[in-house]
Amino acid sequence: MTAPHANTLVLALGNTLRGDDGVGAAVIAALRDQQLPAGVTLQEGGTPGLELVLMMQGYRRVIVVDAADMDQPPGTCLTFTPEQVRLQSRDMHLRGTLHYAGLAEALSLGDVLGLLPPEIIIIGVQPLSLEWQIGLSEPITAALPDAVAAVMDALLYDEA
Amino acid sequence: MARVKVDVHHLTRVEGHGNIVVDVRNGILEQCELQIVETPRFFEPMVLNRHYDEVSHIVSRICGICAVGHSTVSLRAIENALDIQPSLQTVLLRKLNMHGEILDSHILHAYMLVAPDLLGLPSVMPLAKSTPEVVLRALRMKKMAGEICRVVAGRHTHPIAMTTGGFTHYPSRQDLLKLREQLIGIRPDLEATLELFSTLEFPHFIRETEYIALRKEEEYCFIDGEVASTDGGTWPIDAYRSITNEYIVSHSSAKHTRNQRESYMVGALARFNVNFDKLHPKARAAADALGLSPVIYNPYLNTAAQVVEIVHCFEDAIDLTEQLLDMGVKWEEPAKPGRLSGKGAGACEVPRGVLFHEYTFEDGRVVGANCIIPTGQNLANVEADMRALVPQILEKPHEEITLALEMLVRAYDPCISCSTHILDVKFI
Repeated sequence: MTAPHANTLVLALGNTLRGDDGVGAAVIAALRDQQLPAGVTLQEGGTPGLELVLMMQGYRRVIVVDAADMDQPPGTCLTFTPEQVRLQSRDMHLRGTLHYAGLAEALSLGDVLGLLPPEIIIIGVQPLSLEWQIGLSEPITAALPDAVAAVMDALLYDEA
Repeated sequence: MARVKVDVHHLTRVEGHGNIVVDVRNGILEQCELQIVETPRFFEPMVLNRHYDEVSHIVSRICGICAVGHSTVSLRAIENALDIQPSLQTVLLRKLNMHGEILDSHILHAYMLVAPDLLGLPSVMPLAKSTPEVVLRALRMKKMAGEICRVVAGRHTHPIAMTTGGFTHYPSRQDLLKLREQLIGIRPDLEATLELFSTLEFPHFIRETEYIALRKEEEYCFIDGEVASTDGGTWPIDAYRSITNEYIVSHSSAKHTRNQRESYMVGALARFNVNFDKLHPKARAAADALGLSPVIYNPYLNTAAQVVEIVHCFEDAIDLTEQLLDMGVKWEEPAKPGRLSGKGAGACEVPRGVLFHEYTFEDGRVVGANCIIPTGQNLANVEADMRALVPQILEKPHEEITLALEMLVRAYDPCISCSTHILDVKFI
């Protein structure tokens, strides 16, 4: 029997040079110190654009950790699936370019191509600041344990 | 005659913010502009007073698509200014890295941004629905291109291992063997690419113009060489200002340029026109298959020239990898400067055309900088094309005029700016 966590990718997205957009990378760094179930791959994906589709290919589950504007107080950490939300990369509706495709575009393309893993979980952290700076703001730093716990929960408990 | 007005606010499937504005009254073209509304970036003052070793990492951020190009050209300018002689190994690794970036950009443009237009589709999504194998192939090839950059310079974008005078990290023999195997494995995708694009019909439109590209006797040139024109004439890279002759227009936050005519074109088509005889034999065969021979005066065929360059860069990447394997890549200390004060220019062919950087140093720190990017050099030429095209298609329905103009601008693969993304999530 396959354990629920086997063949799982924990994928951080975001730009560490844009303040709280680096929250995913910080979560991955913290997870490296944790005792993880077998079959879990940690990856800091940065801003991969459409290649995100190929990054997720072949995994049974992908847990995406990213800064997300969810109209919540900064530091709020929420777990949801793509079906539960309407995703939109900021500016994409205006720009219509694929040069800087984000998660929303990659998921759409992956869906059309039939390449998405059976299970995708998104752990979003509401950012405070996305200014040009390295390092997280205070509320986001304080929320890191919540985000790490959210990933561990997702790893240890099969949503299905 | 009725008034024909085209106003495309924020053109899609190009990089950055640009508007197309065309206004024809009583058959007279009153306004025909590609408006560049992007905020200026001010990278030149940003590098002032910086140490020469920091420059390539800062200017790499001018563009996430042409990061390797901006890094490489800045390194060449710095090396020329400070009398630094890179080794053959460094030269070969840089060439390989540039191929990775050209491939990444061309594959995205040809497959994801232009092919939908030629197939009568609004975007890549319906293309993925109707022929998923085409989009999967594009993604596979793009990933391979990124892999070249990762192996050579440490990561896909913003090369971390490239430095003044050399590299700070080298690929292992194992890395290069694997890269060669993967590159050879991509050949069936190249054949399929050629097959696809030879069936697509590009719009017919001819306007003679000047094409400018770097040229070298020994190779299809992407780094260094001299500047050559299809109108005749060659110039040393140092004389770049006498080619670009930048000037300001009110409707664009990017400067326009002109050389021997009112405008000139740079990019894949310019390189093809100037350097056809230097293409890899397989790329020349690809040009034959696509029915291309120089000099081509149809700007829409810039994408076809990109397809030829996709073949060239993959094949030359295989040759370069083999050459590096034969030589055996060794650890080398980056070459040291012969002086710490001086002025130097560099030039590279990046996906969208020739890119110039120039720096002046005093005691190892930047006191002057100038960057001239390809899209800026193409703007006047795009507008000249638009002025010639509009009267030819004036009788067509408004939507067709708009699409023809959008496709024309997209053919140049303009790169107007860079930005970041944050997800907006609305719970439903």
